[in-house]
Amino acid sequence: MAAVDPGSILAGGVPVGGNLKSYAYLFEGLTVQRVLVVTAVCAAATASVVWLFLNTYRDLLVSALCVGYASMVLFTMAGNIRQKRVPREVMQVGAIVIGSFVGTVVAGLVKGRDLRQMFAERLFGVLITMGLGIGFGCVVVAAYILREKHARDQALHHAAESERHQLAKNLLEAKLALMQAQIEPHFLFNTLANVQHLVENNPPEASRMLESLIQYLRAAMPQMREAYTNLGRELDMARAFLDIHKVRMGPRLAYAIDVPEPLKGRSFPPMMLITLVENAVKHGIDPCCEAGSITIRAAEDEGKLRVSVEDTGEGIKPKQGGGVGLANIRERLKALYGVSAKLVIEERAPHGVIASIEVPTGSAA
Amino acid sequence: MSAIAAVIADDEPLLRAQLRSRLARVWPELAVVHEMENGRDVDKVLDEHEPQLFFLDIHMPGVNGLEAARAIGDRAHVVFVTAFDQYAVEAFEQGAIDYVLKPFNEERLALTCARLKDRIGERPPGLDELVERLAARIAPQAPGAEHLRWIKASVGSNVRLIPIEEVLFFQSDEKYTRVVTCESEVLIRKPIRELLEELDPGRFWQIHRATIVNVDHIASVRRGLKDQAEISLRDHPETLVVSRAFTHRFKQM
Repeated sequence: MAAVDPGSILAGGVPVGGNLKSYAYLFEGLTVQRVLVVTAVCAAATASVVWLFLNTYRDLLVSALCVGYASMVLFTMAGNIRQKRVPREVMQVGAIVIGSFVGTVVAGLVKGRDLRQMFAERLFGVLITMGLGIGFGCVVVAAYILREKHARDQALHHAAESERHQLAKNLLEAKLALMQAQIEPHFLFNTLANVQHLVENNPPEASRMLESLIQYLRAAMPQMREAYTNLGRELDMARAFLDIHKVRMGPRLAYAIDVPEPLKGRSFPPMMLITLVENAVKHGIDPCCEAGSITIRAAEDEGKLRVSVEDTGEGIKPKQGGGVGLANIRERLKALYGVSAKLVIEERAPHGVIASIEVPTGSAA
Repeated sequence: MSAIAAVIADDEPLLRAQLRSRLARVWPELAVVHEMENGRDVDKVLDEHEPQLFFLDIHMPGVNGLEAARAIGDRAHVVFVTAFDQYAVEAFEQGAIDYVLKPFNEERLALTCARLKDRIGERPPGLDELVERLAARIAPQAPGAEHLRWIKASVGSNVRLIPIEEVLFFQSDEKYTRVVTCESEVLIRKPIRELLEELDPGRFWQIHRATIVNVDHIASVRRGLKDQAEISLRDHPETLVVSRAFTHRFKQM
């Protein structure tokens, strides 16, 4: 996902300055377009009911516009106000009712009528004006709410769509990252230097080490990496790598692999286990001068396959770099399995690290 | 001419043996008087064995070859041994310093030894400047190395290590600080105030007295009530309030 610059999102900036301005958000959405729509609806509504009244069209239109504008303003404010107790729709309908009353009163004032007389003698007419206001208002509001809901659904649909695209993109990036992971030249040349010595002094051992190196390279060469692999093959690669390091580091390194036979056929994403094992050697055992051991374990539980690499090394210091490897594993797990896979790093007592990967079994890796 | 005393330092036993046997062939008068697994105790070795020459592997656990060379100073000649270091080799070429590549090439080793034989009677050159330059190139201080990279949190009886880039935000919650990631949420005891001092200020912004957010995970920022703003995060439903004092960071640049 592209990084988002927070500054650019908040176009227009945070409202600053006086108190009045800070309430401006209440009127958000009160656009010219909205005023025109309300005007048009009032004109049309007046035309459609004018035959019911003795009043002229103009007189009725003034009442309708007063009711319409008052309802519009209150409706907008009801939509924007920040409160959680009452549902927004209820607030908005309430705004229409109050708006109709306020509008009727304003219409009376505009026409220069005596309000007391208006309510006492012409109550029936007033009620009809208000009733029509509320009726039309509710129809308009219902249409508005439906349209808003449609827009929301549309936005949700778009969001889902773009998320799908993002996942596809992540998957592609994960594949690329996998292809680009390098074999460290340092590892290769040091191993060859060991082989060089063994060829002269211990040929059988040299041949075993070469075999391990070949097996490791077969799995690690980007061109030879397989898109699909299983836990057994990843373990073979890890074993080859550890065998090489056992020769190189001598008594400083011991390792064990404790994985039940049936689990070796389970599908497992490539190059993840080896990254954990490399970290265990490079950041766990190698930096500490004493001897240490690495144990690889796997277990299946409730549809999850959990593979862990435990080392008895130095452990991780809070300010020590985490390395690209772990971030890469996390990204790839997310792209392959979404939230149903995870990488967890834990401290081992009394010292060392346990890194484990959990993936759902049965799904393609 | 008396035998020249040399020390070999390499963390891999077979490679020490390999260098020793190769040296015996190309420079029989050289006596390897001591072997080291890393660059520790250089002073003691200098006192006990009085070597004129050190073969130092650059990458060793504990004290590495460069640190050892720094400790040796001009008390002995130094030859660096390395498997592969583009930068190191470049620096060696420029600085006329002696080095040997692994796996060993006998002709190349013989050439280095011939040069050393000529030079061994002279006072060892001060390598300080070159060693500093090498150290800077081989193990450059990663930017932000002084910042917090892992959060340690107790989860049940285990101590979970959370990489800092996974953290969406920190929020104080009475006695504790909530650490929220995409996948989980944990509590730590370190207060916001202390975290602020240790976190990378480019990535972690304080947005509220009680909240620090990881800007890499911000999805959008909206204007809110009064002079506040509201942050939505990627992959997380919670929204965060930016209080008035911190909104300036989100204004258009």
